[in-house]
Amino acid sequence: MGNGEFSSLASSIQAVASPFRQYLQDLHGKYGAVNEGAVADYIPELALADPNWFGICVVTTGGQVFEVGDCDKLFTIQSISKAFVYGLALEDHGRDYVNSKVSVEPTGEAFNAIVLDEATNRPYNPMVNAGAIATADLIKGDSATDRLKRLLAMFKRYTGRDHDVNVPVFLSEKATGFRNRAMAYLMLNFGMVTERIDETLDLYFQQCSIMVNGKDLAMMAATLANGGVNPVTGERALDERYVQDVVSVMLTCGMYDYSGEWVYRVGMAAKSGVGGGITAVVPGRLGIGTFSPPLDAKGNSYRGIKVCEDLSRDFGLHLFNVARAEHVLEDWLQGSGADGW
Amino acid sequence: MPKVVSIHSYRGGTGKSNFTANLATTVARQGFRVGVVDTDLPSPGIHNIFDLDLEKAPKTLNSYLWGEAPIEAAAYDVTAAAGVTGQGTLLLVPSSVKPDDIARVLKTGYDVKLLNDGFRQLVKGLELDYLFIDTHPGLSKETFLSIAISHVLVLILRPDKQDYQGTAVTMDVARQLNVRKLLLAINKAYSSLNQEVLKQKVEEAYGAPVAGIFPLSEEVVQLASEGVFCTRFPDHSISREFMKVASQIMEG
Repeated sequence: MGNGEFSSLASSIQAVASPFRQYLQDLHGKYGAVNEGAVADYIPELALADPNWFGICVVTTGGQVFEVGDCDKLFTIQSISKAFVYGLALEDHGRDYVNSKVSVEPTGEAFNAIVLDEATNRPYNPMVNAGAIATADLIKGDSATDRLKRLLAMFKRYTGRDHDVNVPVFLSEKATGFRNRAMAYLMLNFGMVTERIDETLDLYFQQCSIMVNGKDLAMMAATLANGGVNPVTGERALDERYVQDVVSVMLTCGMYDYSGEWVYRVGMAAKSGVGGGITAVVPGRLGIGTFSPPLDAKGNSYRGIKVCEDLSRDFGLHLFNVARAEHVLEDWLQGSGADGW
Repeated sequence: MPKVVSIHSYRGGTGKSNFTANLATTVARQGFRVGVVDTDLPSPGIHNIFDLDLEKAPKTLNSYLWGEAPIEAAAYDVTAAAGVTGQGTLLLVPSSVKPDDIARVLKTGYDVKLLNDGFRQLVKGLELDYLFIDTHPGLSKETFLSIAISHVLVLILRPDKQDYQGTAVTMDVARQLNVRKLLLAINKAYSSLNQEVLKQKVEEAYGAPVAGIFPLSEEVVQLASEGVFCTRFPDHSISREFMKVASQIMEG
């Protein structure tokens, strides 16, 4: 016994049978029945999503994977990409240079606001569209293809599998992204982005159109929670030095203009996307990935927020929690399948 | 709290289904609500012992796994067929014997997570005290799952070398999966064997208790797959042996 294949199968079966997965199953039942929010429809491709799709996945830093519901269903990553591309920009240029181009202040403005810091002309943070476009501009590469391939390779390091761009979504985003185009030219005017502006905008629209599933989002968060190393493949996805940078901006700016309330209520570094995904990091412990297309008024997945609220409260996962939680996470993760009948 | 009991043997032909049927019936006779699930999807059979005509039972475990019906809809009351009288209830979830359905299972498999969720739904929805899982012989994902969620695992073995070795492998798996309670049952023991010596040797070899020893019996063979032995011959020594195993499952 004890060889790798056997242990890995045993571990996956234990995850299926564990009390923690049962907890997630109950959560899935509880919120699956709630029909709040509306599917994003600013481009027709997104409006095709079924509001009933709902997946919850948790990956621990020990590499255990807990999946419930539609965790394999593919959707476009949208704004969740921003956090991870920011990490690559930091690796490409270092902290000081990246900071000189994009600030790290929450805005309180909507994600697509055309607003720059008046004193420095920098976009407020890498999670709003302006900041994300400036960040995409920083991605190194010899050609447009090369830059996209570097992004796709980066996501593969986080998730452990290959990714593609959804071409219809990319083309729709590109055809309708007037606001983003306006912002890019405004930044060009202030010298905050380079002149390869069309190429960068394409790259930005492509990064938003990368296909992921709920399990990928959990794996990406777990990789950040695990210091930048994918806990299942063991591959490093992000330089250890920059993990805290990425996680910090996720915490302060990741949930659009709901970020303050999110930190107060849930207390996890997280990023959401209009495709219906949320990725949430609990450093040193686990990553959460949720997928449910209906969005609330702030543009965050309605069910995804509820799931994170419950997990945070029941297992004491809030960043600043010092009180005793109702459930001890480790007991629930490692408990036997015979518990909790 | 409800208890889940998996009955497994490493190799086929150990009399696993017959054993499961008799054990579940014995427990039901004590006044409990007992469910039996046939997870032997590639080679189902336990429905015959409970005399359930699958022509008249359109829903099966397969229907649930393929999302066609809730698992409770595939549970059939076999209390009377098993000869259980009094308070107890016996419910069976059979697997499909249709060649197309078996082929579909073999070809596309199914999501083992669904099996786990189905077991829990069944226990909750039908308010079961005990759930018996009749497994497919050998080791597979489904067997791993059944072992992982069981409060009690009963391993059946015959006194021969192939069974001994296979059982040792299964025991390793069970320990890795942190099974709570492990019982061994020896079936088809030759009457020439000294039962006490056999029990002692097996317990020493595996470090687990032998809950019962069942002789190679012509009577059982004759009645095999037709009705449940322990309610037909409640005073027979074999029925008493089943009672012995049942009390070890019910205790604690």
